[in-house]
Amino acid sequence: MSLGHFHPVLVHLPIGILLLGCFFQLLTVHARFLSLRPALPLIYLLGGLSAVFSSATGYLLSQSGDYDPGTVGLHQWLGICVSVVALLVYGMYRAHAKEALLNVVSVVLIALITLTGHYGGTLTHGSGYLSMALKEDGKGKAAVPPVPDVQRAAVYMHMVQPLLQSRCYSCHGPDKQKGKLRLDTRDLIFKGGEDGKVLVPGSAEESELIKRLLLPLSNEDHMPPKEKPQLTEEEIALLQWWIREGADFNKKVLELKQSEKDKAMLLSFQPGTAKKEQQLADVPAAEVGKADAAAIERLKDAGVVVIPVSSSSNYLSASFVTAGVSPEVLTLLEPLKKQLVWLNIANTALDDRGMQRLAVLENLVRINLSRTSVTDKGLNILKGFSRLQYINLVGTKVTATGIAQLKTLKELKSLYLYQTAIVKDDEPRLKKLFGKADLDFGGYVVPTLEKDTTEVKP
Amino acid sequence: MTRDELNAHRLVKEAKETELRAFTRRHFLKESAMGLGAVAMGALLGSCGFGNKSTNAILYDPAHPLLPKSPPFPGKAKSVIYLHMAGAPSQLELFDYKPELMKMDGQDCPQSLLAGKKFAFITGVPKMLGPQAKFAQHGESRAWISENLPHFATMADEVSFLKAVSTDQFNHAPAQLLIHTGSPRLGRPSMGSWATYGLGTENQNLPGFVVLTSGGSFPDAGKSIWGSGFLPSVYQGVQCRSEGDPVLFIKDPQGMSRDLRKASIDAINASNEQEFATYNDPEILSRISQYEMAYRMQISAPEVMNINDEPQYIHEMYGTQPGRSCFANNVLLARKLVEKGVRYVQLFDWGWDAHGDGPNNSLNIGLKNKCRSIDKPVTALLLDLKQRGLLEETLVVWGGEFGRTPMMENRNGVQNPYNGRDHHTDAFTIWMAGGGIKKGATYGETDEIGYSPVSGKVDAFDIQATILNQLGFDHEQFTYPFQGRPFRLTDVGGKVIHDIIA
Repeated sequence: MSLGHFHPVLVHLPIGILLLGCFFQLLTVHARFLSLRPALPLIYLLGGLSAVFSSATGYLLSQSGDYDPGTVGLHQWLGICVSVVALLVYGMYRAHAKEALLNVVSVVLIALITLTGHYGGTLTHGSGYLSMALKEDGKGKAAVPPVPDVQRAAVYMHMVQPLLQSRCYSCHGPDKQKGKLRLDTRDLIFKGGEDGKVLVPGSAEESELIKRLLLPLSNEDHMPPKEKPQLTEEEIALLQWWIREGADFNKKVLELKQSEKDKAMLLSFQPGTAKKEQQLADVPAAEVGKADAAAIERLKDAGVVVIPVSSSSNYLSASFVTAGVSPEVLTLLEPLKKQLVWLNIANTALDDRGMQRLAVLENLVRINLSRTSVTDKGLNILKGFSRLQYINLVGTKVTATGIAQLKTLKELKSLYLYQTAIVKDDEPRLKKLFGKADLDFGGYVVPTLEKDTTEVKP
Repeated sequence: MTRDELNAHRLVKEAKETELRAFTRRHFLKESAMGLGAVAMGALLGSCGFGNKSTNAILYDPAHPLLPKSPPFPGKAKSVIYLHMAGAPSQLELFDYKPELMKMDGQDCPQSLLAGKKFAFITGVPKMLGPQAKFAQHGESRAWISENLPHFATMADEVSFLKAVSTDQFNHAPAQLLIHTGSPRLGRPSMGSWATYGLGTENQNLPGFVVLTSGGSFPDAGKSIWGSGFLPSVYQGVQCRSEGDPVLFIKDPQGMSRDLRKASIDAINASNEQEFATYNDPEILSRISQYEMAYRMQISAPEVMNINDEPQYIHEMYGTQPGRSCFANNVLLARKLVEKGVRYVQLFDWGWDAHGDGPNNSLNIGLKNKCRSIDKPVTALLLDLKQRGLLEETLVVWGGEFGRTPMMENRNGVQNPYNGRDHHTDAFTIWMAGGGIKKGATYGETDEIGYSPVSGKVDAFDIQATILNQLGFDHEQFTYPFQGRPFRLTDVGGKVIHDIIA
């Protein structure tokens, strides 16, 4: 029996030798290749013998019963044909047959080898393996095709079945039944394989199907075999959930019980949701048109760094880290009023007058005004920016009175007030006033401990 | 060169030229018929959808290689400060509290821990070594932090600990390379190079990727851990000094006025532009832009790199030693650089390799002094960034290249003279803070002696994937074409550690 396992290796011998023979035979049509002629009988003899040996090992392998009998039969008889034809050609050489006839038989032999090889491939890789390779775009395709609305999808048909198909059918499907197990229909799944049942509805822990998936990759019984594509964590969680909820073949996702964790797992099969997670809250969700390119260019010429917050977004961030503020430059921001969401204008000569020019920037989410000449008067403008989440006023002359007017900003998350004119006594009052927003007054000290200055000596 | 040599030289040259003239256009077409066919087919297949469809291709503009660029999605972190403790600090004396290990102190190491393992130095059967520091829980997160870091203990609620980081390299240089370049071998770009390649830098007057070293020695992996590998060379880390001139020869030499300097750079650039017109090599444009940046840096770098202008209370907070080269100074510099829009600041502090082969290399003396030198500055950095509103957009990472064994190190079967631990690859601690990382979280757990991960195991690629994620990149899409295939920082690994992302 173990000789049978050498079949997939041995078959390549007759394929190579015989194809070479056929090729040489066809080349001898040209007079300049006639020198190849004497080698041909020997090539065909070797090819024929190796084909016979391959067929024998193939027969032994087919006895394991892991393969689809129909395909095996076809492959078997085609293989035998190849052996016979190869030896026949050898005989024809010995009998000095006509060249034209030899050419025809060679072409026939090539066709036979191709067909036999194809069916052999189908047995090892599953049917449709050829067209699959053409369809794949190089990157490992998702086992479960994206589900547009996961809650309305049919659990088995839209999710479980495609998963089993792409990860299990090649060995446990119509073409091949390793361990006498087929997973392509409801009845066959419940029937199990030679080691018994694989699925216990209601208990993922007792289901062999899940147990095998969870074994360490190094374990011999781990499924899928380690050289094959593996299931992702979400895909395993999907199967576990489906079995735990009774392994139903007809219900929709929303008809089955789902914990919070299950919901998150299911959502991961819905395209677009993973992206949404990364859609950070500090960029508005609403779409916005493209900003005027000429306006951006003018700002860039003034030294202001203006770039989209992400390469796929029209929202912009602007930074004055290497630019100075002048009334003209501030006016240049105006055309970007819809798109500008992050503004860093720290360490500039911006004053309350300049703040007036920023008043149009209604969509601002983050603004850094640290170390500018802005005072309470200028803060008035910020009240109008209802989306503001981050305000940095470090090193400005603002006072508690000025800050208090910002309490109407509903979205505010963090307010930085280190080195401002706010007196210490007002801090608790302000903190209370702003409730959930984080107010940071800074002034942290890292005391010097005795330990800091004492070197540990041997 | 003598006359004879010159003649011989000319003859060879002439022979070569004659030979080249023999290659005609017809010759080219004949010789390369197959090759041209393949090239054409490659192009055709590409248009059929077979080719590499990279939609997030980063445009590299050789004339302005460091201009700021948008990440594929809005990143939480704008800059990174990576504090690398070169030599690998012991997690068992800092963050990974193992009372069970104390009970085994002095016993022979069980065979089960040694079977199939290889260590850098340990041979035979070493003794187990209990924690050489007292631990306590801190903050609302109840994180265990040892007495070696009394200041940092107050930051427990600001950072996320990764307690089960593992690596597969037990020597310093390859392990450092792995964590910073994604490969234990030389030649890959470092994380800072990837970051500046993908994002450019906000401040065109300063380098985008700055490296500062302290501790008296370079990290073992040398300068290649901040190299640009196959990325264009402008993305390599610029090593600055924290003592004397930040960059060597940054001052104009005596007698060279600023105007003269400008005139000479203009002249060089003009000649380079001619060169570019002839050869069209984009690296020439990079060269021109580098000259221009160097000229601007002459003004801005000394100002940013000078910590003396900082107020006294800041110096006290960081525990700096102005005029000397030390970690505290570098940390303060890092804050200043990030404030000025520098993208990636990489610090290396050497001297954490506590083997126990000498007093300065021991857990009870050397390690404690190393901790002393970083405790205050690191704490000050976090607090200072926080009060300036910068911690939200600055990712701070602290860690070494691997961990240390729960066993006491022996060499050739002889106990080391001081308490020390050998290199350990299976489990160590790294923490991150700011830049959209959770506050007061811990991910990953090791067994009761801190030997192997029990849950939440992560590796260098996961850390890189997470850092890139915070900067706004999908580490699987962020590639650079080299030698015929796209390369990633994370090679074929890496999973973003969502459990520590806020």
